[in-house]
Amino acid sequence: MPDELDSNTIRIRMYRVGFGDCFLVSLPLTGDAGFRHILVDCGVHGKGNIGTMDEVVDNIGTITDKKLAIVIATHAHQDHISGFNPEKFGKFQIGEVWMPWTEDPKDAKAATLKKKHVALAAQLNDHFEAQAFSGARVSKSRAAAAAAVANLVANKTSLQALHSGFGVDARVRFLKAGDSLQSGDVPGLSLKVLGPPTDEKFLAKMDPPAGHSYLRLDGNRVESANQLRPFSSKWEIKPTDSDLQNLRLSEAERKRIKDEVASDSLDGLAFALDKAINNTSVVTLFAFRGQVLLFPGDAQYGNWEAWLQQSDAADILSSVTFLKVAHHGSVNATPKDALEQMSPGKFAAMVSTQSTPWPSIPRGPLMDRLKQQTKNKTIRSDSLAIKDIKAPKGPVVSKLPSGFVKGDFWYDYFIKL
Amino acid sequence: MSDNTKNDAPPERPLKAYAFDPSQGRNLGNYMTINVRNEALQPGPVGKYLVVIDYDASNDTYYEPVNLDDPAVLLRGGLDPSESDPRFHQQMTYAVASETIRRFEFALGRKAKWGFRGGRRTDPNRYRLRIFPHAMQEANAYYSRDLQGLVFGYFPASETDAGANLPGQTIFACLSHDIIVHETTHALIDGQRRFFMEPTGADTPAFHEGFADIVALFQHFSYKEALLEVIQKTGGLIYRLNVAPEVAPADGGPVIAPELSTENPLVQLARQFGEAMGMRAALRQALGTQPNSKDLEKLFEPHDRGAILVAAVFDAFFSVYVRKTRDLMRIAKAGGATVGPDDLHPDLANRLAKEAAKIAGQFANICIRALDYCPPIDILFGDFLRALITADYDLVPNDRYQYRAAFIEAFRLRGIRPQDVASYSEESLRWCPPEEMKGVTAPVCKGLDFDVFSLPTPAQQKRNAIILSLFGKNNAEALGLRPGIPVQAHSFHPLHRVAPDGGLRVEIVAELMQQTEVHLDPNDQQSEKFTFRGGTTIVLNREGQVRYAIQKSLGKDDDQNERLRRQREYYYAMDAISGLTTYLPPPPLDGRPMNFNLIHRGY
Ligand SMILES: [Zn+2]
Ligand SMILES: [Zn+2]
Repeated sequence: MPDELDSNTIRIRMYRVGFGDCFLVSLPLTGDAGFRHILVDCGVHGKGNIGTMDEVVDNIGTITDKKLAIVIATHAHQDHISGFNPEKFGKFQIGEVWMPWTEDPKDAKAATLKKKHVALAAQLNDHFEAQAFSGARVSKSRAAAAAAVANLVANKTSLQALHSGFGVDARVRFLKAGDSLQSGDVPGLSLKVLGPPTDEKFLAKMDPPAGHSYLRLDGNRVESANQLRPFSSKWEIKPTDSDLQNLRLSEAERKRIKDEVASDSLDGLAFALDKAINNTSVVTLFAFRGQVLLFPGDAQYGNWEAWLQQSDAADILSSVTFLKVAHHGSVNATPKDALEQMSPGKFAAMVSTQSTPWPSIPRGPLMDRLKQQTKNKTIRSDSLAIKDIKAPKGPVVSKLPSGFVKGDFWYDYFIKL
Repeated sequence: MSDNTKNDAPPERPLKAYAFDPSQGRNLGNYMTINVRNEALQPGPVGKYLVVIDYDASNDTYYEPVNLDDPAVLLRGGLDPSESDPRFHQQMTYAVASETIRRFEFALGRKAKWGFRGGRRTDPNRYRLRIFPHAMQEANAYYSRDLQGLVFGYFPASETDAGANLPGQTIFACLSHDIIVHETTHALIDGQRRFFMEPTGADTPAFHEGFADIVALFQHFSYKEALLEVIQKTGGLIYRLNVAPEVAPADGGPVIAPELSTENPLVQLARQFGEAMGMRAALRQALGTQPNSKDLEKLFEPHDRGAILVAAVFDAFFSVYVRKTRDLMRIAKAGGATVGPDDLHPDLANRLAKEAAKIAGQFANICIRALDYCPPIDILFGDFLRALITADYDLVPNDRYQYRAAFIEAFRLRGIRPQDVASYSEESLRWCPPEEMKGVTAPVCKGLDFDVFSLPTPAQQKRNAIILSLFGKNNAEALGLRPGIPVQAHSFHPLHRVAPDGGLRVEIVAELMQQTEVHLDPNDQQSEKFTFRGGTTIVLNREGQVRYAIQKSLGKDDDQNERLRRQREYYYAMDAISGLTTYLPPPPLDGRPMNFNLIHRGY
């Protein structure tokens, strides 16, 4: 197996950014004409940031000579786009910027959906932050929900940069399931877009349920959890008052009620919203000189479902030779149906992940199964220790599977053509 | 005053309530009096079935409990409607919940029962359903088996789109008549069919929601004043979505309030709640879209899907109403009257109102009674149709006004197709006795001990449970149970019904349950396990003969087991949809009860 780039080798570099994605795919041109580079996502979650992003972007600049044929922002989550710093990328030469159709400002459906998502995310975030600020006890579920919502906000700068083609005349394209592209600039590369779909059924799932508008879609106010007192104070009785007699609840019971009523409901909404955004992920299939690389972004079940039902799904899956594992290896993001249809031992997998901020990610059984299906050719970003960086430790890898090479803060996977 | 149940105490206690919600003001008979069954009450109120605990978890405070036995309050027929006095809220939740319980008891012919199993032994209220009228600051209300109660929220109305409410005004879920009935119904269903809270397919949560809405909507037709007004303004066409304005506007359109046509409150649910959330309409409408059989394949959110069931039932109801009042209308027309909005003769309006109320009451009864004829788990809309038809047939064999035909047609139009049924004919839809199903005769279940007039004692219950489980075990095949697997008897009770001919019918209903552990993925022994249930609802006559065995068989864990396959698929889909499992460890699948808190987010 090769361990450096030559005209017969594809290199996929997975940077360790923390909880986030940043993949650089380098494809050789025939002869000694050099390489074309495709950057798939560049972001890290605020609560899972290990502080390598600056170096990562510098490294991308160095090894690509600041020339990127295509930049793909799979979806508008912080952990996939926060690194698209306009200052830095403004100095690159960028051919095209690809985003999901749900980002297309000219698409009416997309625009409506987007507006809703943004408003809802902002409100949830305000609400959760106010709660955290008030010092109230935060349940596990709420902490997880707050982290999910944090991922949705504060993406303005990156999004603007992407939409403007980084101010360097990059061609901005919005992709949807069914598109197939031939990029003139990368000879030999053909692309198939598998997601996100545009049909009504899918869209319905993207819509936060109507009942949720109680979060006051108009208000940008930060509202603390205990702001409203519904009655004049003359009606209030302290929980310890003996006048309450049989109506008095024990402290434990009051706590139980508080837990039940105060926590669950908004969390579910936050998760639903997060999942909706994940499902806008552009899912791209790169076919290049016999190799088939699948980059599903953070697609979760709803997105996969649509194309798994297509007649060519089985053929596609069995032909895959490289898989970027979706959504950091969470449950629901790699359907069993899909993984089982890939050819055992034929493909390698990379998982950009770590257990912070969500301890349930990556999902253990999925990691085990991936190892089996790839015949051990699976690598997790969090198995990489980085000098002077404190980061959550994944399982230690004693011997790298063939084709994988460790870098300072990345893993490379080389495919011989 | 706690002695007012003595002989001289009146049988009923009048209590004031909103017929709809505060936003309706005094319109359309919105101020109403509910006559609840009189019982001794402690402050709260605390009665036999209910305890109102006004604890606000968001503010960690209580609000002063109302003492409905206070002479000053008694004399006034309860407190007057007020949004600012929490004691009125307590009174209204108590009154409406009591009214709903009574409705169930009447239809089912037995005492109501709750689905939770008591709390701490020292808790004097452990067998009562707890009502928290102001539990939290949130636009939500739900039934929680864990909390043994109904939880209502309050929230500020939308600032920009508050409908008839003031922007930012506090909206109380517990002042919406519909919401109280809806949530109480959840609790009552749970008391009859505890496994209906286990979401085993898209239809189960939708059934719970739809049924609760059905009960709430039929309740509207018992408010005489509101009903009369709507009849006046729709010319008797009470199913219309809008009622005519008080004054017909000129060509240029309405210029003053009385010229605006308003929405018909009878066919809408929880209007204030919906408007306050900026939804510009009532939360849900019973009718309003054309029946179509595609919705069942498209709608999976429990409320949306439940709405299909609601629409089917109301379609049947209005069809019967139209049929039964046609002669009245004809007579009126023959007498030279024009029959249209505003010029309905008061006598005719009265007659129509009486008819509508009567039919609505009958329909509500039929629906509630059908619960006893439902399978114990995994209910499908089609099963409910069969239950409706059977329950009604049992009581009223002669379907003179074609109630059943109306049900069948309305369900058929919406693509609700019962499984394993040859056609939509009444005969094939009726559940059948076991010998017709399997060719095996079920023996008679002997020795059951039910007192017709009182609740069975714990000792009686225990003995009955043993007899029934044994009966199930020994006749597994005939009853659609799987031999060799333990059978448990759940919620069994006698039912007595008075048929229109005056005859009293006594029957016994019981759920016989079985369960087994299976893997979520049948091909992966490492995958999570869940409890898969099977069971049969048996209806026995007085002599212990099995009249119906309504089955959801456990079957084997193989390719033949269609129901198991469906349930697995549903679990996958649910986890995929909820997104909850992405960031949190997956909840155990074992009998995972429905989380109404999540389903009900926003009602
Ligand atoms: Zn994401
Ligand atoms: Zn991500």
